[in-house]
Amino acid sequence: MIWHLTKRELYDHLNSLRFAFTMSVLFVLMIVNAIGYLSEYKAQSVAYQKKVSASLDKMRSNADSLYNLLTEGPGILYKKPSMLSFCTGSDEAFIPESVDAGRASWSVGFSGFSVRGIWRMEYPQSNPNLWDTMPDYTNVDWGDIISVVLSLIAILFTFDAVSSERARGTLRLILSNSISRGTVLVSKYLAALIAISIPFLIAVLINLFLLYTSGNIPLGTSEWGRLSVIVFIAFVYVSICLALGLLISSCVSNSSTSLMVLLLIWTTWVVLLPSTLGAMISGKQPTMTSDEFRTHSEILEQNLDEQYRDRWAKIPSRTLPATQETLLWSKYIIEDAERKAELNKEHLDAQISQLQLARSITRISPASIVRYGIESLAGTGFTRHVQFLEQVHRYADEFQAFLVDTDRADPGSPHAIGPKEGTSQKPVRFEALPKFEDRISFSGAYNAAVTDIMLLVLFFAVLFAGAFFFFLRADV
Amino acid sequence: MHQGYAAMFLILIKREMLANLMEFRFFVAMIATLVLVVANTVVLIKDYERRLISYNSAVKQHHEKVSGVKVYSELDGNLLVDRPPNPLSTFNAGLDRRIGNAIAVRHALVPTLWDIESHSADNPFLNLFSSVDIVLIFQVILSLLALLFAHDAIAGEREAGTLRLTMTNRVSRPVILLAKYTSAMACLILPVIISLLLVLILFAMSESVLLRGDDCIRIGGILLTTIIYLSVFYLMGLLISVITRRTATAVTLAMVIWSSLVLIYPSLSVFMVNRLWQESSRLEAAYREIQQIWEQFEKEQMDYLKNDGIEGENTNFNVSGAGSSGTLNLFYSPTLQYFKPEYRNWTQIKEDSEPLISYLKAYFQFSEPRRIRAAERTWLVRQATLNQVYVQKANLARNLMRLSPAAMYDLATEAWAGTDYSGISHFITAVRQYRQTLINYFHDKAAFRSRQWFASDKGEVNWGDFPQFSYHPVDVFTGCKSASGDMICLLLINFVLFMITFLIFVRQEV
Repeated sequence: MIWHLTKRELYDHLNSLRFAFTMSVLFVLMIVNAIGYLSEYKAQSVAYQKKVSASLDKMRSNADSLYNLLTEGPGILYKKPSMLSFCTGSDEAFIPESVDAGRASWSVGFSGFSVRGIWRMEYPQSNPNLWDTMPDYTNVDWGDIISVVLSLIAILFTFDAVSSERARGTLRLILSNSISRGTVLVSKYLAALIAISIPFLIAVLINLFLLYTSGNIPLGTSEWGRLSVIVFIAFVYVSICLALGLLISSCVSNSSTSLMVLLLIWTTWVVLLPSTLGAMISGKQPTMTSDEFRTHSEILEQNLDEQYRDRWAKIPSRTLPATQETLLWSKYIIEDAERKAELNKEHLDAQISQLQLARSITRISPASIVRYGIESLAGTGFTRHVQFLEQVHRYADEFQAFLVDTDRADPGSPHAIGPKEGTSQKPVRFEALPKFEDRISFSGAYNAAVTDIMLLVLFFAVLFAGAFFFFLRADV
Repeated sequence: MHQGYAAMFLILIKREMLANLMEFRFFVAMIATLVLVVANTVVLIKDYERRLISYNSAVKQHHEKVSGVKVYSELDGNLLVDRPPNPLSTFNAGLDRRIGNAIAVRHALVPTLWDIESHSADNPFLNLFSSVDIVLIFQVILSLLALLFAHDAIAGEREAGTLRLTMTNRVSRPVILLAKYTSAMACLILPVIISLLLVLILFAMSESVLLRGDDCIRIGGILLTTIIYLSVFYLMGLLISVITRRTATAVTLAMVIWSSLVLIYPSLSVFMVNRLWQESSRLEAAYREIQQIWEQFEKEQMDYLKNDGIEGENTNFNVSGAGSSGTLNLFYSPTLQYFKPEYRNWTQIKEDSEPLISYLKAYFQFSEPRRIRAAERTWLVRQATLNQVYVQKANLARNLMRLSPAAMYDLATEAWAGTDYSGISHFITAVRQYRQTLINYFHDKAAFRSRQWFASDKGEVNWGDFPQFSYHPVDVFTGCKSASGDMICLLLINFVLFMITFLIFVRQEV
């Protein structure tokens, strides 16, 4: 019986205006998305390779002495572009693509000797917005197509599911047969889900076909796996919107009122809530402004200056074992680098935790959950950036440990790392140097996605139960 | 006869208004609009206050920075001016919140929009959340309400049979249409007016939001544009209602039109322009041209140094003393920022170098005017190229968007609020004029050939009569002018839609 009802509903849907609309909108958006991102990945990975090899070349030329490596560091470390940027590529503009693990900005010269700071991590901030005059509108990528358009379509399919049948009297007719109300509701849900998934799946396939045949994106099994999880998330999300539609439709008698209520909920959830909450959080937990950050690092420098006031009179030397003077300079330089790196890290962490707070609060809206879930699966956006930063920090420790070990192995060095005189000057074998390679790992992504999917399923369960409850009690 | 029409018209309006006001959907939309407007205004005012505080402290800090400068040449890079936040950005944020708000004034670089920095960039990651303003709420929610009011205005009555009933009285069809239109518009304007009142009350409660006299005209302009915009959507709904036989079809059609025009089309057009417009080759060519201008400047400099009668091509002219100096090459290719500032600050010059000072003076008197000229020449290239690459791209996106009335509404209110591109470029023009004042000041003080250009050992520069930067936001008439195009377009759409609806309705069977 349930199939019979579903079939009836489905035929109704397939002949309707909204189905034609769904079909055309999804096709246009997915094709435009494919065209927009057709050459994106290739261009990005070529640029990435180029930048990485430039960084490595610089490192190779610095490898002629350990001291050079110590001052210049591993150079700029780049983030590998994601193959699935067409899923959620829009946010990339605001997320930096690299970390600068390079030279410190200070150096001082004295009569007889000169010293300079050693390498440290700095986090460039990406803000192309500062001079971007493009109008501010949402992008057309999978995340937005699913979270904005697909949810709207789901509402369009269900806003009059119950109310219009009630108005026409057909609902009474159906229920006069020996059919439970639950069956009617489930069949309505299934019919709408099928009616939406047909055009959605076709549009997705066209999109992937275009991207795949262009030859610019070599999709492998991992990518196909992740894409199917993304499509699954889309289905769960559509189900939530369908359940919401059924819920409101069975509560409200008039279908245009039901549409109004639904669309208000929809605009609040999808358009307004994520942004307003995000803006609110930024006011609640402000991080340092760029000016404040500058002041902080100036204060830090002054404090260090005070602490090591007598260093100016000391001249480092290459005598073995290291003299008091050399050790003092070494201590100063190391502490300077450490403290500055600490300040940079603190600033970054504050920014990250502010954003993470904003993201966890905006998870009230299922649209945001979907967007974050897709983002972590696509390997773009903020989740990926945090992962990249973790790798960079691990690598930085490894690099520094390598330098210290190599210096220790050199019998001609006073082992007072920092000043030129206290550090080994021997060339380092480039091949032996640890090199940074950004690996995109999705084990974390799947875990994050599972949490998001669980949340979505929970939303669905609550809303569908609500719909069921109201439909059971509704007058026909 | 006329009297009868008027009376009938009033009766109809009364009936329609009551019907609209009593409706549950109106109530829901009204409450939702008010709640969202109040919630967002509170957030936006907080945001404005934060930006204002950071603006004030930046102005103070940048002022102190200038007082700390001891020689003229060190002013380069230390003189920053700030853009105040616009209180009307609560209505339409436009570019006001996004575009940077501090810019360095240098004689070695003519400032453009692309040199702008930010004094308050506290967390760039937060750009991931897009901004919501009051206009967006009107744009999305009230247009929806307008369509839903209209979609069953005719079709619903036709289905219920009340249309035929009304017509059995001596009422002409235009009167019915007009009555429906007037009453629905009155109901639609109600939430707008109440929201505006609430916003103004919130403004008054916050002490930092100070509205100037012409801001009232601007808010009035925004209100007027909102009314015209809502009327477009109401008439669209009415047209749908006239041409469809069933309300169910009318609803779906209305939704299809609403989602395409308000949500999908504007994003789609901006995305396409963003993705398909590539002009990096033009940037590279311009970059080379700019490089050549500076190379020529350096060549002239070298020629001068060769013929100046001093050994060696050293710009320090073998002067010995203590202090700091720097010759920088600053460049950033995506914005074609390329310039060569040179600063010098001798805090102490040895006695035996004193005869060399005249050479230094002559050198700077030679090089600085040339540096200014080179900067102005590069500006011509730079401005033209960057306009072509970035501004034209944004303009194309805007013009494509304009096929949707929602985008027209957005752009017109942006112009009224003064947060559009012309408002921002007005600031840049003011900064450019200020740079000219700075150069004139240098000339008046004969700064280039003075000792204080490069040395502070015999007295520092006195900044007592240094010209201050003052900025007056773009005046309301300019805003009005740039908003007028979109407003006229919206009015035309209104007119056309009304005529079509009218013609179809008059000839239709009921």
